[in-house]
Amino acid sequence: MGSKEKIKSTRRFDVCPVTETSAGIPLKEVYGPQDLEGVDYKNEIANPGEYPFTRGIWNNMYRGKLWTRRVFTGLGSTADTNARYKYLLGKGASGLYCFGDTITHQGIDPDHPLAQGYAGVSGVSIVCLQDMYDLFDGISLEDVSVSFNNPCMAATVVYSAFVAYAQDMGYDLKKISGSILNEPIHLVYSMFETNAKPLDLAAKLATDVIEYSIKNTPRWHPIAPNAYDMHEKGANAIQEMAFTIAIMEEYIQRMIKRGYDIDEFASRVNVFGCACDIDFFEEICKFRAARRVWAKLMKEKYGAKKPESCRLYLSVHTSGNSLTVQQPVNNVARVTLESLACVLGGLQSFDPAGYDEGYYILTEHSALTSLNIHNILAYESRVASVADPLAGSYFIESLTNKMEEEMFKVINKINDMGGAIKATELGWIGSEMDKELIKEQKEIEEKKRIIVGMNEFIVSKEEEVPIEVGRDRPLEEQMTTSKKREDKIKKLRETRDKRKTKDALENLREGAGKGEGHNLVPLMMESLRAKATLGEILGVIREANGASYDPYKILQYSL
Amino acid sequence: MKGSNRKIKVVVAMPGLDCHDRGIIYLSHVLKEAGMEVVYLGKFNTPEYIVNTAMEEDADVIGLSYLNDHLYMIFFPKVVELLKEKGCSDICVIAGGRIIEEDRPKLLELGITGFFGQSTPTRDMVQHIENRVKRERWKQ
Repeated sequence: MGSKEKIKSTRRFDVCPVTETSAGIPLKEVYGPQDLEGVDYKNEIANPGEYPFTRGIWNNMYRGKLWTRRVFTGLGSTADTNARYKYLLGKGASGLYCFGDTITHQGIDPDHPLAQGYAGVSGVSIVCLQDMYDLFDGISLEDVSVSFNNPCMAATVVYSAFVAYAQDMGYDLKKISGSILNEPIHLVYSMFETNAKPLDLAAKLATDVIEYSIKNTPRWHPIAPNAYDMHEKGANAIQEMAFTIAIMEEYIQRMIKRGYDIDEFASRVNVFGCACDIDFFEEICKFRAARRVWAKLMKEKYGAKKPESCRLYLSVHTSGNSLTVQQPVNNVARVTLESLACVLGGLQSFDPAGYDEGYYILTEHSALTSLNIHNILAYESRVASVADPLAGSYFIESLTNKMEEEMFKVINKINDMGGAIKATELGWIGSEMDKELIKEQKEIEEKKRIIVGMNEFIVSKEEEVPIEVGRDRPLEEQMTTSKKREDKIKKLRETRDKRKTKDALENLREGAGKGEGHNLVPLMMESLRAKATLGEILGVIREANGASYDPYKILQYSL
Repeated sequence: MKGSNRKIKVVVAMPGLDCHDRGIIYLSHVLKEAGMEVVYLGKFNTPEYIVNTAMEEDADVIGLSYLNDHLYMIFFPKVVELLKEKGCSDICVIAGGRIIEEDRPKLLELGITGFFGQSTPTRDMVQHIENRVKRERWKQ
């Protein structure tokens, strides 16, 4: 009986059951020359480093510069994170990643009544200028790039704090490099929407960072829209890129309205933070197609003349949703595949998820394994030696073309609605994402999408090989961590020169009432130097624009 | 009142500041497909607000979800406690998201009736709700 059943169950897996990509693009059994008929190599594909950059943004790709090798960081106190930074830099990391905690994302302070238990828990808390001193103690900002994951509105304050710190420490602002997520529109349907209200104000503040940065921190990328969260909340590969490009058009248009030429800033707003999921070829073609779409838009729609304006930098965190909590070691295989797609897709930077991401923030061992996935790909496997090695494949080029076509359809639809803010307010983008999310979950439940160890090839708990995974801090410890942060900020409030803080905040309030064209970054830097906090700064700006001081309407301005 | 033929009503909510709402979006869809009425509160709710809504809506079930960290061990017990305080223990409370194994016995003891997280077939959850509600309605 037992053996008969075994034969039956293997036969079911004898053929590949997949006939379409994750986004629903039908797949033929085989591709040939007829699939590329009429494709103009010079204009549509072109060599790496040439418009429209389908094959990558540099002519020799990784021989000229390897992708930035980052690993997810951001835990506990600023001092904990600083220690992890030093550890990773010593192990070959070339860039630092700073993930904000829940309340920093929300733009509220650790002593906010709703913040209890959250400060410094699943990311690092950045509230005041002193936090930058603690975070980057002993690390030279001119030698590493720092990537902040904070969305607007909080991003405006984090960026201002970073620049104020760099300036006060005597670094040459022209030499510091890195990026900040900044983009707020995606928050409405993906994360902490309270931080993005009112949306128009949030978009204005995000544009302030862009404007300040192109003038003062020219190597910095002042906006790196979060395609990742949209993907993880349902958007398929086509939507992920199309929504993000449409969102970026909002800022491009604001900058043009402020009087800038596209070539003055396009090369600074061209970094996307995407997901890379397990659908290997679709992901590779997604990256290739997105570069081409971006290049064509910059040149044809916005009249960019410089090639740098048409280059799209892609950076990835491999998809957390594709990982399982069952048999975490299997995630190393998933993350390796996804990372390989990143390399073959010609990415500029990626961080492989930790195998225990489904549990908690990575253990040191898991972070090291992620870093070694980089190292194995970069130095051991030889996959990085030739630029865009898949180009010319009938399948790859054909799928790239199809994805480009589909992305343009979505972008045009959003433009017809009046742009990404409108499409967001109408709820269209959100409902498209929900539809995809429900479809995907259904397919998982019906085993149309197989996830090893989760809905198929399941092993019992007893059979599972135990492995150390990131553990939740015990509740008491979580509360203590948060309480420490809370006390620190309370102490800051008590010991600072209140009049100085108040004066700076009142200046900021006045500036914030002056409308779109009045850049608030310098005033925020002054407020931070006067020891104002994240919540206070955003509160004052909100009030000056007719919104409540506290996004949750609990606190009042009390200085 | 909760007549035995009335549609089952479920309040679906995430307490606290966790933002991982993929699960509740899908589960709300599943519950509707199964013929239930869903009151969707989404993210960022206080336990008080969840309980008050459940009472106002005369709900049969509260579905709680939490993923990000450990604070569910404060929020979930609080919801159950408030229900008891207000004499509404007939409202069944289920939980989803990422509830670690070690915490489950304690939550069960407090009165949460079941856990339905990643990789639990959704029909198990639907069945659990139907059985529980049937039992509660019998009692009346």
